[in-house]
Amino acid sequence: MTRVVVSGLGVVSPYGVGAKTFWAGLARGDCAIRPLTVIDTEGFRSRIAAEVPAEVLPTLGVSRRRSRADRIALAAAREALAEADLTPADRANTGLFVGAVGGGMLEGEEWYCEEARTGRPLPRLRALRSILPVSHAESLAWRLRLGGPRETVVMACASGAASIALGADMIRSGGTPLVLAGGVDAITRICFMGFNALKLLDPEPCRPFDRGRRGMSIGEAAAFLVLEDAEHCRARGARVLGELLGAGMTTDAHHVTAPHPEGEGMIRAMAEALAAGDRDPADIGYVNAHGTGTPQNDRVEALALARVFGEGRVLVSSTKSLVGHTMAAAGSVEAAATLLTLQHGLVPPTANLREPDPDVPFDCVPGCARPVELRTALSNSFGFGGQNVSLVFGR
Amino acid sequence: MIRSRRVAITGIGSVNAAEQGGSSAVAAALARPPHAIAAVKIMAVEGSGSGLAAQIDDARLMALLDAADVRRLSRICRMALAACRLASAEAGLEGGSRVGLAMGSEYGDFRSGAEFFNGFLRRGPSGLSPMIFPNTVMNSMAAVVAIAVGAKAPSITLNQATVAGDLAVARGAALIADGRADAVLAGGVDEIFLDVYRGLAALGALSPMRGQGPEGCRPYARDHNGPVVGEGATFVVLESLGRARARGAAIIAEVRGTAWASLPVAPHAAPVRRRDASGTVRRALEQAELEPAALGRCYGSGNGDPSLDDWETALLAADGIRDPISLAPRFGQHGGLGALRVAAGALAARDGAGPALVHGIARGGCRAALVIGEAA
Repeated sequence: MTRVVVSGLGVVSPYGVGAKTFWAGLARGDCAIRPLTVIDTEGFRSRIAAEVPAEVLPTLGVSRRRSRADRIALAAAREALAEADLTPADRANTGLFVGAVGGGMLEGEEWYCEEARTGRPLPRLRALRSILPVSHAESLAWRLRLGGPRETVVMACASGAASIALGADMIRSGGTPLVLAGGVDAITRICFMGFNALKLLDPEPCRPFDRGRRGMSIGEAAAFLVLEDAEHCRARGARVLGELLGAGMTTDAHHVTAPHPEGEGMIRAMAEALAAGDRDPADIGYVNAHGTGTPQNDRVEALALARVFGEGRVLVSSTKSLVGHTMAAAGSVEAAATLLTLQHGLVPPTANLREPDPDVPFDCVPGCARPVELRTALSNSFGFGGQNVSLVFGR
Repeated sequence: MIRSRRVAITGIGSVNAAEQGGSSAVAAALARPPHAIAAVKIMAVEGSGSGLAAQIDDARLMALLDAADVRRLSRICRMALAACRLASAEAGLEGGSRVGLAMGSEYGDFRSGAEFFNGFLRRGPSGLSPMIFPNTVMNSMAAVVAIAVGAKAPSITLNQATVAGDLAVARGAALIADGRADAVLAGGVDEIFLDVYRGLAALGALSPMRGQGPEGCRPYARDHNGPVVGEGATFVVLESLGRARARGAAIIAEVRGTAWASLPVAPHAAPVRRRDASGTVRRALEQAELEPAALGRCYGSGNGDPSLDDWETALLAADGIRDPISLAPRFGQHGGLGALRVAAGALAARDGAGPALVHGIARGGCRAALVIGEAA
């Protein structure tokens, strides 16, 4: 079977620009969740989030006329492609799989609010042109001259991971030897208000796997991976950052917002990813958990992890405690974190974890990062609609 | 591309402005003269510059659903669920861990998004409904259908203008060919919603574009002057040919080739001189082991948008294919239209008209091609 490797990585995160900056923040265990400034939070239960720093946006080299999400997506994608060192001919065959949910909704909301306030259509229509999730793929394909298969994947919080899984499938089926895959989401009012309305946001920075956890903290980011047929990568002498060994994608078909209470779909996704990668649970040294910090998700994910790996048999941490839940980007942000964890032999911590939940029978790496020699790791991403995606990476 | 498993079409379900039902209803709608585009009835669009649409009769939609579905589901979710149930029933498809979904949409549930946001604008944080919020995510339609039909394999929602439905069918076929599912409900859905309609009209994206000529949907015609929106949901049941035969399913047609690509052009652009270096149609035909001359017909995505129609015509001509047939005048432009093209191609192949090319190109350069033929 065709092996799929990662030959480029790009991240714009609440730590700033670049995969190196991202990794430095994770390794230090810096929690980037702070008071939210992008939108007005007056009257909401939670008023914090992990934002891409305001001073970073002008340095991205992307026009201010583009949506906030487009700007961070383009910067992350450019970094990934630069690292992979692709020629224009390579790019002409490179597929593009973008996980997205919010699109340019932040700017669209401003337009909508203004129209609602004044009661008449406004002439400023640019915001409407980039409001949909597909707008990112259109911008990326155009600016980066990518001519392979293109898909905008909307699978809620599993979108970024699903894009990686589908991109790898495209390579394995022979559709193209190169794919740029990842996800992006900027903070939007509708997302912030929605999770507040569901009472799923913690007023304090989230505490995944803590006994006293009260919900998640939202964030924003973009992360893209260049996936490549291993033979193609070797032939052009490119550097390999890691290997995507397998991917599992399942659906709970149980409830629109709640996970299956026994984690049935999660278990199938992890088992499928392991089988696809020809790995046993014992081969996995680390799991980058979905780990949102909501009471229900963490309990069910722990249950599913215990069924797959056995209680306490694997290190587990949630990088959402550091950079927030970056929604459609989360799966690709955490794929990047998992790859970097394998590269550096250092497991990022779960921040704010002071009193481990006894129902979570795993070492969740509280406090600070831990050096561990790892060969393979798994990243979980789950989302509304009962969407489950697990990715297995190797060094 | 390696096609490791052959993919059959074993069911069709559609809820559209002209008709609702399975393959016989779609065949009947295709046989009649177009009649579904009419003055917008369900909302006030005065002042927007456009006033036509292909709308679903809500009473006919409600008749396909039980009271509980009607009460708890948004309008677009009702459409998706009704069409998927029709397709599943025709195919005799039952849910399970090897049944997946691939759903395309141009706009998703914008109605719920606006309703949710308006709650905040009226009453502040206390006006936000936790019941509505989940519908604002574009995969809510797929989530509802997955639960209803028990689809537990991957459930993929794709957002794409113009070719959402055909791209989703191609994605669904790939899920089967790649071994991620044995059967997939694949298609598209969209609804007409006032804010979207007015926004499109304000952007000059609806007939009459630039206010020139009479409003109407006239794809590929000399006087084409913009699309007319429609609404509805159309899904096909895709199944590995081996599984379909083993269970004795009635096979309508086979998906014999699929290819999709990105033509890197500026967002929203449709440059008529831009060619397809990746050979999308050629690749789909190679999979099907067919020459262009062997095609019985081509269903194109032309929807009356002059730039897009002209671009598509030029791209197809470069592939040796002429005179594409557009279904937009029958059903209006919406996320289900691409799946209706696939359904039309499948029915034509079944009825002996030869293999069909289903082709789509969107502004911004997403291109899809599927070859649908009789299952040999």
